[in-house]
Amino acid sequence: MVKHLPYRHRDDSRIAAEASLAARDQGKFREMHLLLLDRSPKLDRASLIGYAKELELDVPRFTKDLDTMRHKTEIDRDLMLGEALGLYNTPTIFINGVKLLGDRPIEEYRAVIDGELKAAGAAGKNR
Amino acid sequence: MSPVRAALLFCALLAGTILVPSPSVAAGAVSPPALAPLPPPPSPPENPTTPEKVALGKNLFFDRRLSGDGTMSCATCHNPETGFADALPISLSYPTTRNWRNSPGLVNAAYRKTVFRDGRATSLEEQALFPMMSPFEMNRNLDYVEEVLKTVPAYVEAFRSVFGGEITRQRVSMAIAAFERTLLSRDTPLDRHLRGESGTLTARQRAGLELFLGKAGCATCHNGPNLTDERFHNLGVPEDPKAKEDPRVLATARFVGKVSGFAEYRTLTEDPGRFLVTRAPEDWKAFATPPLREVASTAPYMHNGSLATLDDVIDFYDRGGGDDPKKSPLLKPLGLTRGEKGALKDFLAGGVSGAVPRIRPPRVP
Repeated sequence: MVKHLPYRHRDDSRIAAEASLAARDQGKFREMHLLLLDRSPKLDRASLIGYAKELELDVPRFTKDLDTMRHKTEIDRDLMLGEALGLYNTPTIFINGVKLLGDRPIEEYRAVIDGELKAAGAAGKNR
Repeated sequence: MSPVRAALLFCALLAGTILVPSPSVAAGAVSPPALAPLPPPPSPPENPTTPEKVALGKNLFFDRRLSGDGTMSCATCHNPETGFADALPISLSYPTTRNWRNSPGLVNAAYRKTVFRDGRATSLEEQALFPMMSPFEMNRNLDYVEEVLKTVPAYVEAFRSVFGGEITRQRVSMAIAAFERTLLSRDTPLDRHLRGESGTLTARQRAGLELFLGKAGCATCHNGPNLTDERFHNLGVPEDPKAKEDPRVLATARFVGKVSGFAEYRTLTEDPGRFLVTRAPEDWKAFATPPLREVASTAPYMHNGSLATLDDVIDFYDRGGGDDPKKSPLLKPLGLTRGEKGALKDFLAGGVSGAVPRIRPPRVP
């Protein structure tokens, strides 16, 4: 699950969050999310619309969603959740409740996932 | 050197300073300072600690505007939830670069005589600016960061109120240092034990303390109130062979060598430790003895995070350290039994840990 914590001092952070949710409405959140990571820092409005074309989205609908900030309430809610949880850094990733802060090496995430799977497996066997 | 004295070195590189006379030190040898409860933290006359300055420093500590691309703050690599370190072998780094050392925890940094693994800074004020401007850490131009902060009215007012003047890089570092001086652990079971309270350490932890002071030799270096001798030792900690092959790590090593005034910085292929600062042969690959309170929260261990757990650290010292031919002569195999290792771990995990300061991230202006 992805929650949004757009950084207020980065020009395109907020509109990029809007873009990912506009793409979600058309069934392509993951595709847009990965594209945004890949193409960062080119996340201005024109670039985002270009990515929508690339993903063969309904571009007029996508553009309208961006321009009207259709998902403002949802993003604001995520921001409040982040504040309530004391989050101050992106990315902050929770794996089965284990909190990992910052852009960490992939091996770190693998180790936590493997550990949690192992623990869950052991718990299952003990039931 | 006696095996006991060699053993004593073992703990010195873990963390703080406790000064309890070690009964096991060989006759004639200079006893290490005794373990003792930590006194109140210093409030340097040139930068006295005040609540307003601490609050300002806390905001700055969590402010991502102090990094070049807004992805990092001091708290990124000094996370309050992981002992004010980042729980990685090698600390997080600025995008496209690589750090080369483990992020040290900040608990009780207030008492340190030197800062950084190689001790190249002699105060928290001196230390705070380096990661900010360092290209492999926060990568922020300091002239620019001053101007960025001056655009924030709340900061302008806070600096005027706290320092009576405008925002400067020196005052930024002074405020951050003041905040860091509040990150204290002074009420562990060991502290209460040293203050004369009974029953604060379990029997097993008391056994661990005896080993710490005696057979295991920890207190040779981890002594005094903050459990550190404030010296530097080569333990023979192995290098990560992959790091030597990473050009980004080499660039980092050579950059640090260059800004440290190390003439042969282009030849660096590994971390020379304190040698970079002193050029003294005995300081080759020597690193600072860290304080030990809250050590359980700051895994992994050593300057390059190569030891994942306290068990690994204890095993490492039990073997007499690493294989570096220039490692400290104080290191010798200890011959600890499994039970002794367990008691020592209990002491480190439960006797000197468990009181990490709780810091809630502020709402940064």
